[in-house]
Amino acid sequence: MQQQEIHDFLLTYFKANHCEIIENHPAYLTIQLTIELDKELMNRPFYWHYLEKTGGIPNPSQLTLITDPQQAPDDVKGELIHFGSQRLHQIFASTKKLAGFIRLYEEIIQQDHTQNPLYPWLSINAKVSYQSDRKKDILLSAGLNLITGEIVEQFHERLLQIQVTPKIPDYSFTLSPLIKPKSGLLRLDSYIRRTFEGDDHTWAERAIERWEDDLRLLENFYQDMEDKAESYYTEKEALQNRYEPNITISIVNGGLFYLSNQAI
Amino acid sequence: MQIRIKFDDEWSEEFLDKVENDGPWANWELYKLAVQAEKHLAIPEFEGLQAPHHLNQLTPLPHQLEAARQVVETMNGKAILADEVGLGKTIEAGLIIKEYMIRGLVKKVLILVPASLVSQWAFELNTKFHIPAVVQRKSYVWDSCDCIVSSIDTAKRNPHRDIIFKQEYDLIIIDEAHKLKNNKTKNYEFVQSLKKKFCLLLTATPIQNKVEEIFHLVSLLKPGHLGNAALFSEKYKGKGRTIYEDEHLKKLVNTVMIRNRRADTGIEWTKRHVETIIIKFSPTEQALYDAVAAFRSQSEGAGSAFSSLTLQREACSSKEAVFTTLKNMSQKHENPAPEFIEKLNNLFETAKQVERNSKAEKALELIQKINDKVIIFTEYRATQLYLQWFLQQNGISSVPFRGGFKRGKKDWMKELFQNKIQVLIATEAGGEGINLQFCHHLINFDLPWNPMRLEQRIGRVHRLGQTQDVMIYNFATENTVEEHILKLLYEKIQLFEKVIGELDDILTKLDIGNIEDYLVDVVEGSKSEGEMKIKMDNLSSMIQFAQEMKEGNLHAATGNS
Repeated sequence: MQQQEIHDFLLTYFKANHCEIIENHPAYLTIQLTIELDKELMNRPFYWHYLEKTGGIPNPSQLTLITDPQQAPDDVKGELIHFGSQRLHQIFASTKKLAGFIRLYEEIIQQDHTQNPLYPWLSINAKVSYQSDRKKDILLSAGLNLITGEIVEQFHERLLQIQVTPKIPDYSFTLSPLIKPKSGLLRLDSYIRRTFEGDDHTWAERAIERWEDDLRLLENFYQDMEDKAESYYTEKEALQNRYEPNITISIVNGGLFYLSNQAI
Repeated sequence: MQIRIKFDDEWSEEFLDKVENDGPWANWELYKLAVQAEKHLAIPEFEGLQAPHHLNQLTPLPHQLEAARQVVETMNGKAILADEVGLGKTIEAGLIIKEYMIRGLVKKVLILVPASLVSQWAFELNTKFHIPAVVQRKSYVWDSCDCIVSSIDTAKRNPHRDIIFKQEYDLIIIDEAHKLKNNKTKNYEFVQSLKKKFCLLLTATPIQNKVEEIFHLVSLLKPGHLGNAALFSEKYKGKGRTIYEDEHLKKLVNTVMIRNRRADTGIEWTKRHVETIIIKFSPTEQALYDAVAAFRSQSEGAGSAFSSLTLQREACSSKEAVFTTLKNMSQKHENPAPEFIEKLNNLFETAKQVERNSKAEKALELIQKINDKVIIFTEYRATQLYLQWFLQQNGISSVPFRGGFKRGKKDWMKELFQNKIQVLIATEAGGEGINLQFCHHLINFDLPWNPMRLEQRIGRVHRLGQTQDVMIYNFATENTVEEHILKLLYEKIQLFEKVIGELDDILTKLDIGNIEDYLVDVVEGSKSEGEMKIKMDNLSSMIQFAQEMKEGNLHAATGNS
């Protein structure tokens, strides 16, 4: 992630959370946190607890984040932010936490007064992780039309092309879903499973080979022992923890989107 | 093939809840950001390293990156990191921890290191790797922190031990792992019983004496990799260090061990400049030295030969050092013979006559001339104290450094030396593990008789990160055992000019068990100075021969034929 990208990311994050941007210098940002974001990021529960008990005037912090230390003036004091910094990862985590679920409508600029039907879509952005002693992630975005049952991949990329709004626009109306959200989720779940079951899983076969190799060595090491030492069982368990291949599907975020017929 | 698939149900439940209650719903900008963040955090490939993208204050060297890559890709996260001293094993370990953490394969890490290195490890992981490593000070830390640095001696004792066994550590790192070469020790047993999903053992000297050492080390990491104990000892017992010549074993060991050598790294090292300073005793100092030397020949057969040689070496350092030993000797004997007491008293008297320390005066002159940070190494605590006082008298402040200091005190002393104080006076035990590359003048006030220890002293300043040429000043008093060792041995084998780690190799090849004992033997056992000279010559030619052989090998290996 380039420093410029980080800068833009932070700016969007704080704006989206209604923080006042006190200074937006190319090399740094100074932000007045809202009470909510102070609680989210500054890790001072005692202060807030005290304030709530005593009814004092809240004084949320200001934060200065330096994204380009070379260009930043010397007198600017702040936290240096780069891709590995813990603050950025905290903000990543916070973004995910605050943006797990959504409902949006397509915004259609209407010339006449005809009514626009909007189709309900259920979409999820998921991370599929292949894991043994090694690891790889695959991101995927899928959308399910809750009327037709059609499933569209790279749904998020398509959404990015569409104007959306949190309030249903004038002259638009939503069609009732034939598929309930709950069974919609099940359909997406089995769709993803099917997709990944069919994938190339040599990685898992290799991991099991490595596991079996190490297991053979372990058996050999303890073969002369009639009552196996405790450490034998510990090692065996450690090998399983390390090598056993598994796939986890975790959902980044998702929600309901009401879109016109021609949108997707 | 059937692989277990876990689906995140939590999200689904919460989502259905929101549908039911009509929100609250997230904001579109944040929603898009979350997807963007996830794209940056996703691990695109099984292979390769992600860690370097996350480190901005650190540019790892090529051999360090390669080591980390190898551990993750071909060693499946269990390895002995055995680079020669000063090549940055800690950096390699840091890269590996970081890589596994980024990949989400490791969450809880336990790092066991010698007490003197605990703070340094935690500091480096925090500043260079942004890993929130915590020094274990209180019991509750075990539960509440994910990455802990502790000394193995603390960890193996209760209540800590029991708490540790309740944790699920994903990665265990052990620094100075050669201390685990003996499988009969408590430390070994402790490490063996820890659950090691991923594990790194760090040591610069994977084999010191016996081939069994490497067996025990590897078996700790990966039991069975070198077979079981019975088979191994049948095959290799008594082979000593010739293990290096056993191609099969070497190959096997190399699949779990990474050993970078200085010569292979292509790093430019700063030079070492060595100056020998021969110091002439004052008449009273000479008298003391002669007296303890005479004491030696008088008391032959009394079993005190060793302490009289000790006394001679001490007389080369300071009268205070001599005093300490004399005092110990007089207290040790419950019913000493009257003549023994008389002899001791005579020595006390002679020592009291000494009114100055010629070496200390020379050191003072040198320190004033250098006008920069200086480390003085001495073998003796009494000398250390005296020097501190003496320098203070002459307006130079100094800090002491000893192995016995508590962790916090060591850190504090190092910090004082780095930021405020001109001179650090260290005894031998203080030599291990502390990094002082911000200083490049080193005075060997007296000499250890073990070249490896001398190497360790120099290694404190001549290491990765040293930007200046290193100046080494060796003090030796004229016509004493000290001068003999320096001139007849150390200078002959050009010990001081060697690249770090080379000596390690040479002595390993020679298979001299304990060079210090050997030297004592030579000095003690020789009837005349001539005999001693010949024996020393023999030793130095042996070392030179080993060195030539090594160079010969190198030429053969790089030759075209």
